[in-house]
Order: sequence, then structure tokens, then C-alpha cells
Amino acid sequence: MSIIRTANGSLHRNVSRVFERFYPYASVLPALLVIVLFTIYPVVYAVRISFYQYILTKPNSHPFVGLNNFQDVITSYYFKNSLINTGIYTIASVTGVMIFGLIVAMLLNTKIRSVNALKIIILLPWAIPAVVAGLMWKWIVNSDFGILNGILYSLGAIESYIPFLADPVLAKVSLIMAHIWKEGPLAAIFILAGLQLIPNEFYEAAKIDGGSGLLVFRYITLPLLRPILLVVVVYETMTAILTFDLVYVLTGGGPADSTSLISWFAYAEIYKFLNLGAGIALSIIIALITLILIILYMRALKTEDTIS
Amino acid sequence: MRIKSRALIKSIFLNLLVAILIVYIAGPFIWVISASFQGENELLKKPPSFIPKSPTTDNYRYVFTGQVPTSYEVKGQLRSRISQEARLIAPALKNSFIIAIFVLLINLLFATPAAYAFARLRWKFKVGIYNFILGSRLMPAMAIAIPYYVIIQSLKLMNTHLSLILVHSALTIPFSIWFLTLYILNIPRDMEEAGLVDGCNYFQVLQQIVIPMILPGLVAASAFAFMTSYNEFLFARFLTTSITSQTGPVIISSISGNPDVSYSLISVCITLGMIPPVILAITMRKWLTEGLSSTITFR
Repeated sequence: MSIIRTANGSLHRNVSRVFERFYPYASVLPALLVIVLFTIYPVVYAVRISFYQYILTKPNSHPFVGLNNFQDVITSYYFKNSLINTGIYTIASVTGVMIFGLIVAMLLNTKIRSVNALKIIILLPWAIPAVVAGLMWKWIVNSDFGILNGILYSLGAIESYIPFLADPVLAKVSLIMAHIWKEGPLAAIFILAGLQLIPNEFYEAAKIDGGSGLLVFRYITLPLLRPILLVVVVYETMTAILTFDLVYVLTGGGPADSTSLISWFAYAEIYKFLNLGAGIALSIIIALITLILIILYMRALKTEDTIS
Repeated sequence: MRIKSRALIKSIFLNLLVAILIVYIAGPFIWVISASFQGENELLKKPPSFIPKSPTTDNYRYVFTGQVPTSYEVKGQLRSRISQEARLIAPALKNSFIIAIFVLLINLLFATPAAYAFARLRWKFKVGIYNFILGSRLMPAMAIAIPYYVIIQSLKLMNTHLSLILVHSALTIPFSIWFLTLYILNIPRDMEEAGLVDGCNYFQVLQQIVIPMILPGLVAASAFAFMTSYNEFLFARFLTTSITSQTGPVIISSISGNPDVSYSLISVCITLGMIPPVILAITMRKWLTEGLSSTITFR
């Protein structure tokens, strides 16, 4: 009787030990399977295609072309053009997003009563689809009956409607305004989180020392906020470089390729020129550019230290 | 006296700044809603009416019932501005909703146990797999759109809800795992240890102790997964070919691609399409803000 009980007990213990040992793997497995299916295969496939000629209008000939796709892409006029556009766009929109984010976050951190309304609506642009945001702005800046033209016209600031999206510079500005509107709120929330981490004592000490608002901002807020600002800048830079949905609905890369950002160029290469090999080669170049930023991002976040 | 007037100027300046920001943020929403209640004739005036002078629900009636608004019949030429496609918005939003709900459920089901294993348990390859999962999300969507197309085609899932449920799950699970791992790392450990000493196994600890403690995090993670799926455009655009699975963003962008379409109808589609995320963003403001904040301040 007692022997059986011991045997049963150890069996039970063994079962539970096995369970404990495999439990972590079992709990990660389902998620991992989905992610592996949609990561490893796509990457291998994409890298393979980039070495072959894959032009959809020539479906039966896929010769190996080595690095030709990469060479064609890099030496093309469109690549240089979209790289310059993406550079300008990224610098302007990240600057805009950061200034917007800082101003909104600092206002949200005050006790001004009107700020409560801002608090309620701040997440709205972030929450809606980018496609929808792009369309809203497309009709706002419309040259025939856009509300922006309507407002400027009513105020007497312009004598005739401005075709915003037909002018290379104004089209870029419109795109950037829409981008700041869509991405700024997230930056504001992040920066606000950072502001709330700064202990009140710092401000009180500064007040006693008679520091003015600007000095406090320069010598207390900004340095203490730096780590968070760094993360937000890197994140926003990635977002800006990869902008696609907004361009797709707002400008379609035009006029005269002035808003053809690098993701849009990759899209056009694949879906307009039907050159899969070159399109994917370009995407890989984009991936490498973002990879560098991602490494910076991970460094800034340092999450891997916390789980090991 | 000087100090007082300076404080007053400062207060006026700050309130003005807040007002400008509110107009910038809310303006586009108010305008698109206002436009959706205007007839085409009123909308095309120079300058347009900011507030509809004769508000009409005709545009909505057309989208839901197919009854052509009277304002379009005044001038024969405006008839062409009616796009049949606008009527697809209701089924498209239904598709978006079904897909997003399933993505949300899969996220909760798959990401919660995984996050617990990453945050609390000791096992081989943990850090490597964690980095792989997080890194998987960092590929530019454009680079993997074609391979995704190939995978979905070979699984014979083209133009189905399931294809987008799978793809959106793959896109959102890494974030959910990361987010929930951080969340679990930031709750006290004592209760779990007491549970383990009392003879609970890991699964029971997760179910009875951890999950109740991370409920706010789970709510936020669900909302993020839902919104990401509901808003996603690129993959939805490539993997769907008809209204049996096309989602809101796909239909909205396709309607607006028609150069002749009426802006009133687009406004209706946009207004309807943003109802779910706007409701989420307003009602769950606190959780979303806290959730977003925690991703950047938790260590």
C-alpha cells in the first residue's frame, strides 16, 4: 500500500516536473509559429527574388542576374530622387512632430483648464487609419473646394484658390502637415510620460532659485527628458522613412515625383512597372537603412537586459 | 502689478495656443462630419459652408439604402458623382470589424502566456527568441508584401477573412508580447511566489494570479491589436480582391480613387469608418495613454 503511494507520488512529481520544464516552450510556441511563418519564409523569399529578373510582363523567364537589380535601382534617377525626397520629408516631419509633441506634452502637463479638451481629443488622429487621415487632408487642401482654400479666401489672405497638391513644394508641405497631425499625438503622449517622470522637487528647487520658465526648460526639463526624446526621435524617424499610406492617398507620389518617398518608389517599381526583382531589391535596401535605426532604437530601449 | 499683468498675458497666450492646437487636431474631424451632412451643391460653393446651412441625411440614406439624394438631381451633370462603390462601405466595415475582433482574441490567447514565460520563467533560448519576435516586426511592410501574397496564395486563402486575420496577428502579436512582458515585469512578484509555494503550477499562477493583476494591460493590448488590424491598409489592399473580404480602408481609398466621386459620399464613408477607433480612443483614453506611456517608461 505504502509502496504504491510512493510510486504514485513520484510519478505525480515527475509529471509535474516535465510539465514545468516544457511549460515555457508550450506557452511561446503558438505565437512563435505564426511569427515564423510570416517572417522567415518571406525574408528568404524576398532575398532570393532580389537576385533574379522577375518582371511580371515576362512571366516565363527568370534568369539569375546577381546584384544587377540592386545596381539598377541604386543608379536610377528615381532612387536618387526618392532618397532626397525621403530625406527632406523625414527631417521636416520629425522636427515638426517633435516640436508639436513637446508643446502639447508641456501644455498637458500644466493645470490650465482648457487643456482638458485637448486631453480628450489628442489620441484621435493617432487612432484612425492613415488612409483616412490622408483623405481628410486631401480634401482639406483640395484646389477647387477645399476648406483650407475656403478659409484663406474668406479671410482675404488669398485672391484665388491655391492648387496645393499641384505644386511640388506645397504638395510636400501638405504631406508633412498631414504627417505631423497623424504622428504628433503619439509623440506628445510619449513625451508627456517622460515629463511626468521628472520629480517635482527639481522644479521647486528651480523656483526657489528664481529660475525663469525658459531657463528651467533649458537646464532642467530638456536634460532630464533626453533619454525619452532620443527614443521618440528614433521611432519617429523610422515612421517617417517608411511612410506609405499617406502618400498613396494624398499625393500619389506627385506632382512630378516631388512626393515620391522611398516606400512609394518601391511600390511603384512593383505595381506600376511590374518589376518585382528591382522592387524587392529596393525594399531590402530600405530594410538595411531602417535596420541601423532599429539597432539604435533597441539600444535606447534596452529591453533585453530586463528579461535575462 | 507688473507680475500680475505678466501672468495674465502668459495665461492668454497659453489658452490661445491650446485653442489653436484644438482647431488643428479636431478641425479635420469636424469638417469631414459637417461635409457628410451637406448636399453636393452646397459643398462645392466658394467658399464652402463650414456648418451645413441645410443639413441633410440624404448622403447617409444613399449609402445604406441606395436612394439617390435629391441634391444630385438638380443638375444633370452631378449624377455622375454618385459612386455605386460608396454603398460597399457598410459590408467593408463589417469585414474590418470581424477581422479585428479575431485578431484581438488571437493576440490575447497567444501573447499572454508567451509574455508570462518571457517575464517570469527561466528557459533556454529565451533572450534569442524574444529578440527574434521583436525584430520580426521591424521589416518594412513593403519588402514582405509580395512574399505574404505568395504565402496566402499557396495556403489558398486569397480574399478570405482568415488571410487577414493571420497576417494581422503576425503583425500585432510581437507588440502585444513586448508590451505585456514589460507589464508583467512591472508588477510585484510576491503573490506569484506564494502561489508556487502553495503548489500551483505555472499555468494556474498565470490564470489565477497574474491575469487579474495585468487586466488594465490586457485591455490596452486588446485595443492596440484591434486598432492596428482595423486601420491596416497595405496588406489588406494586396490580399483582398472583392467585397467578401475587403476592409474599410481598402474600400475608402478605392472610392476616393475615382476622380468623379462626390466628396459628400466620401465624407460619409470616412465618418462611418472612423466611428469605432474614435469611440475606442475617447472611451479608453486612460488605458491607451497609460499603455502607451508604459512602453516608453517601463524598464
